[in-house]
Amino acid sequence: MTTTERHPIRSAEAAAKQGSPSTAPKKRKRISTAEKKRRRAGWLMITPSVIHVGLWTLIPVIATFYLSFTDYGIFEAPKWIWFDNYVEMFNDAVFMQSIGNTIWYTFWTVPVSMAVAVVVAVLLNQGLKLQKFYRTAFFLPQVTATVAIAMVWLWIFNPQYGLLNAMLETIGIPGQAWLVDPQWALPSVILVGAWQGIGIKMLIYIAALQNIDESLYEAASLDGASSIRKFFSITVPMLKPATFFVFIISIIGAFQVFDQIYVLTDGGPANVTTMMTYEVYRSAFQEFRMGMASAQSVVLFAFLLFVTLISRRVTKEED
Amino acid sequence: MEVKSRMRRTASVAMVALLGLGLAACSAGEADTDLNPDEVSGEISLLTPIFEGSPGQDLLEDELLPQFYEEYPNVTVNVDYTTYGNLNEKLTTAVVSGLVPDVMLMGVGWIEAFADKGVLADLGELGLSEDTLKESYTDEIVEAGMWDGNVYAVPIMLDTRFGVARMDILKEAGYDSPPSSWEELIEIAEATTVRSSNGSLERAGFDMMSLDARQAFETILFSAGGELFNDDATAPAFNSDEGVAALGLMADLVNKYEVEDIGFTSTDDIVNPLINGRAAMGIAHNNLWTQALEADETVLDNLEPFVIQGEASGMFFGGTLATVANNSKNPEAARALLEFLSSPDAALAANEQRGNVPALTELLDSDYVQSNRFVQFAMENLDVAQREGGPSQWLEVRGDFAPAVQGALLGQKTPQEALDDLAALVQTAIDR
Repeated sequence: MTTTERHPIRSAEAAAKQGSPSTAPKKRKRISTAEKKRRRAGWLMITPSVIHVGLWTLIPVIATFYLSFTDYGIFEAPKWIWFDNYVEMFNDAVFMQSIGNTIWYTFWTVPVSMAVAVVVAVLLNQGLKLQKFYRTAFFLPQVTATVAIAMVWLWIFNPQYGLLNAMLETIGIPGQAWLVDPQWALPSVILVGAWQGIGIKMLIYIAALQNIDESLYEAASLDGASSIRKFFSITVPMLKPATFFVFIISIIGAFQVFDQIYVLTDGGPANVTTMMTYEVYRSAFQEFRMGMASAQSVVLFAFLLFVTLISRRVTKEED
Repeated sequence: MEVKSRMRRTASVAMVALLGLGLAACSAGEADTDLNPDEVSGEISLLTPIFEGSPGQDLLEDELLPQFYEEYPNVTVNVDYTTYGNLNEKLTTAVVSGLVPDVMLMGVGWIEAFADKGVLADLGELGLSEDTLKESYTDEIVEAGMWDGNVYAVPIMLDTRFGVARMDILKEAGYDSPPSSWEELIEIAEATTVRSSNGSLERAGFDMMSLDARQAFETILFSAGGELFNDDATAPAFNSDEGVAALGLMADLVNKYEVEDIGFTSTDDIVNPLINGRAAMGIAHNNLWTQALEADETVLDNLEPFVIQGEASGMFFGGTLATVANNSKNPEAARALLEFLSSPDAALAANEQRGNVPALTELLDSDYVQSNRFVQFAMENLDVAQREGGPSQWLEVRGDFAPAVQGALLGQKTPQEALDDLAALVQTAIDR
């Protein structure tokens, strides 16, 4: 066998040179006019979306990466400073504290709200009376503006007139200055975050629960399994794909917490509740340092990318 | 004190009378170069953090702007309302997008940054000079609108902070007048603090928590004779001995004398603790009078303003000033609006609506000022009032003050450490 014969591409080229009809390269598939129209229509239909993504996502993302390497104070043109923003950022005690706070906030809000959501979803999937009312009630915080929610919680946490202290005092527990005491401020914010996140998670879990084959429960019942056993041996494993999905979106949501910090604590007292997003906001709109804000955004992006990649790897088999 | 106050009032009236002659041609913000209303035309935009909310909008749109249009029929004003909380975002996006409003109302301490970066028009080039303004306003107020020797803003209203005492509570405790020194302040605060049997605070002797931590510190700092920055605003001066003493006093009031607990009051409180009697004394904003008028008129007679007296007299003023964009396409129309908004009638109406202190000295005799004891008190003591700001980086660093002050109050750092750390941050920003 010659070299040409062994090499498929070269063989085809050689055949083409010889003019052999059997080995001639395939003619380019002729696209019919109808197909062309169909493709054109397809492009036309996705054009708004492409423009939207390009304009509002792609360009800002590229610009953020670029600006993160510049000293840009809005009043003057950006000046390229390589990694200075990153060096300053990682030497900034407040930003490092915000990273710690964000991780701590995520660590508590995500599992707590997921655990509560799955329990609530299971309960609401039992055909209770007023089921629709409860579903709406649990989902309401999700569709209510965070600022409005935060205002309600401001009242609940008020040390003098707040509901929480009033309730505690009725059982003899002294009230706290929830949002201004450094020991309680972050846990208070975490409580609000966990509570607010229950609704959407519950909704996803309910949808997943309704896809579980009833025959599994029937078979388990025939085998004499208790409700708790069925929950842990059937419900929880069958909810695994939904759980991973909820986990990812919850982490992303938790890392992006901003509104409730903005309204409830302003990052205080003494920065104990400041978060990465809040520091981005402060750099951009209080200090007018867009370059630094961009660098902080890139770090936030890197965190989220890392978490998502890890989760993808973990869930690869499930996918 | 009464005599001193009367003397000040008499002096102020005399000054206004004298100025009246000089201001015949160029009163309150009126420029050396007169505008011909018929020749001034164009569409301009106004960005304002005051006049927000229904009463403010009604005042601006139904009363003030119609008056302006009467005088300048060929000018159209598009108003963009915001609050001070959102003004940063508005201005930032405006500057970045190149769509800077023609006329911008902004706060004391804001002018330096925007003037330094060339966003604001030098009003001197539009015919408004420092000397002209100083005929109508106190020097310190005019200087709040200046940068690098040039005038960039005309004051409209002031927000002042000073001490306020509930005299009914003080009298119960055996004191006939507000404190005239730090020592007296501590003594009266301790005497009027009330705790329940389980130790929980029921009444604060001296409230500092219902005010922004930075502004509370600045008021005490000024009373200690301290300053925020050195004379040429190139270095922080708030970590001086006076500054440490000021923050030390605040920390001691909370931790040593226990006249207020962290969280006992907050800036979010709906009713000021001085109105509902949860505090015997405190640092308050001048609009406390208006708040009390709306909440409980009976308390008005018991509210006594006082200048916090340490090594110096401590009174703080911020405020709202009118500026013109450097790239305004209709600078004459913008100047006309600026002059209108800072004119006596418009400024008085705006101040009355917000319960604020008119910047114009001549308005001391107005019915509004004479009927509002706190505003009157503030105007009579403007000569001792000091403002915040200084370097062009002030807006960048002012947000760092509250965490630093809170850190000291919470005992996380000593006053010296808190202020030194803050000073290092501020110096880095100035040097950047």
